[in-house]
Amino acid sequence: MEIIALYGPYLLISGCIFGFFMAWGIGANDVANAMGTSVGARALTLAQAILVACIFEFAGAYLAGGEVTSTIRKGIIDPSLLQDTPDLLVFGMMASLLAAGTWLLIASSRGWPVSTTHSIVGAIVGFAAVGISVDAVSWSKVTSIVSSWVVSPLMAGTIAFLIFRSVQTLILNTRNPFDNAKKYVPGYMFLVGFVISMVTFLKGLKHIGLTLNFAQSLTYSVVIGIGIALIGTYFLRKIENTKQTRGDIVFDGVEKVFAVLMVFTACAMAFAHGSNDVANAVGPLAAIVSVVESGGEIAAKSSMPWWILLLGGGGIVAGLATLGYKVIETVGRNITELTPSRGFAAELAAATTVVLASGIGLPISTTHTLVGAVLGVGLARGLSAIDLSVVSRILISWVITLPVGAGLSILFFFTLKSIFS
Amino acid sequence: MKSTGFTDLIKKSPFGPIQAHMLVSKASVKELINFLQSAINLDWNKATESRKIISDLENEADALKAETRSLLTKSLFLAVPREDILDLIKLADDIPNTVKDISGLIIGRQMEIPSEIASSFLLFAKEAATITETAGEAVDYIDELFQFSFGGNAAIKMQQLLEQLDSLENKNDQSEINLRGELFSIERDLPPVNVIFLYDIINKIGELSDRAEQVGHRISLIASR
Repeated sequence: MEIIALYGPYLLISGCIFGFFMAWGIGANDVANAMGTSVGARALTLAQAILVACIFEFAGAYLAGGEVTSTIRKGIIDPSLLQDTPDLLVFGMMASLLAAGTWLLIASSRGWPVSTTHSIVGAIVGFAAVGISVDAVSWSKVTSIVSSWVVSPLMAGTIAFLIFRSVQTLILNTRNPFDNAKKYVPGYMFLVGFVISMVTFLKGLKHIGLTLNFAQSLTYSVVIGIGIALIGTYFLRKIENTKQTRGDIVFDGVEKVFAVLMVFTACAMAFAHGSNDVANAVGPLAAIVSVVESGGEIAAKSSMPWWILLLGGGGIVAGLATLGYKVIETVGRNITELTPSRGFAAELAAATTVVLASGIGLPISTTHTLVGAVLGVGLARGLSAIDLSVVSRILISWVITLPVGAGLSILFFFTLKSIFS
Repeated sequence: MKSTGFTDLIKKSPFGPIQAHMLVSKASVKELINFLQSAINLDWNKATESRKIISDLENEADALKAETRSLLTKSLFLAVPREDILDLIKLADDIPNTVKDISGLIIGRQMEIPSEIASSFLLFAKEAATITETAGEAVDYIDELFQFSFGGNAAIKMQQLLEQLDSLENKNDQSEINLRGELFSIERDLPPVNVIFLYDIINKIGELSDRAEQVGHRISLIASR
């Protein structure tokens, strides 16, 4: 208790710095995979991608990020066990931010496919299990989180497979792909708007003063879906069929239609990413702030101050502006084979999965979900060649990230503890 | 800062180098016609020039074949079975090889093509070139076929090309029979060793059109999976 009273402001400021650092890392690296697909498919320019990312990451974090933040903040460890030693919770969360941030910096400088989510979860579990007690960790929650890491890529893959198969049947594999694209693409746009808003409404928007029951959520989501489809249709009207004549046959230019659709799925992707991954930076910070501001009380029901989210969002934008745009460019340049008709299917599937996970408060890896979605498109024969060795590299990175994140956070935890006491 | 592995996921289409290979094959067969024309005219200087071009093209084709194989690493998941792609490049690579063999044999022996059969001979070779051209067209449509998920106009076009290939091949078989007949009727007046080699050349040109036709069929097999 005395430690909090004595060093409160310092702890708060350093917590903010660590949280901002983590958010910066997410913006510099993680966002790139979410946005790079659209840039690679030429659906968005680099500047547009950054703009979309800034707006929708923030919206996602603010409107739909609460559940994951709460899981990171008080779901993995039971704060009530730390009633008498709130300082340990503060040190632990600071150590977790530092550990995850450090590991991400090391990993991304070497191009390892490391997930922000896995780092922070590993770090929190690490300091709690070793620094406090094994019982402080809510193992059932951890089990459900870890299993969601397996389920989410599989689910995204399945959805992507089905979406792309429907695109093949309804549009690509027909005599008039362009006309059919114009006819059916608004349907996919409807899906984008419907899914995202439905999950967001169902999860609850009490924090912005909006309470909706299921029927209302459904109605509003349908309305939003139709609205999005209408906006999309308006933009589609201007798209002309740039036919390519080869010999005696004519090929429709369908990709331009899908490129319009991909602008919408890119927004959804950024929203989904914001709703899930911003929590990795914001969650631990929220825990620190609530302890320090209440003067050492671990208030289980305290709501999260709005400025924390602003800090998280600001960190992401800063990361995007300093380094992220370069990474987006690299990702975009390297995956040009993912044309809009393929890219949108992957993005829509990944965004749906991630938003669903956000709705039930499961922190998952957006990148891994997207990898699963791309594999799904590949299985539907949408891509000519996919390198499966990336999948095994991801599996290896899991096995390494969890213990390294945990080890680093244990190290930082005991260091902080000895500095302050 | 590097991207975290995501960009390595999606690899280049292995068909790119195969399409380039087919362009080389087409150029090679085209040059063979020039070569044969020069040989018929007994212009060995020009024939040697053509032979040089054919030999360079064959090297280029070998490099493209190697590139295709190197793209097909074991960890890849492909939209088309790896065996089909390997078979395709193997068949396609026989074309520039056979062209090189034919030109090598003719120039090495400074073979004289009897004027009685010259026009049938040239016609037979030109048909082989047309078949290669058509097979090459089929290979060129892989991109569209793929973009439109192996259906729609691309698949229809592919079917047309195949029918075209079959009828060209039938015609070519007939030309081969005619040419052999013409050669048979004059063979007793020619040095026997020369005759043996002339038949050999005819065989090889026939092989050329067979290969080109097989390339087309392999593509259609890939398309219909």
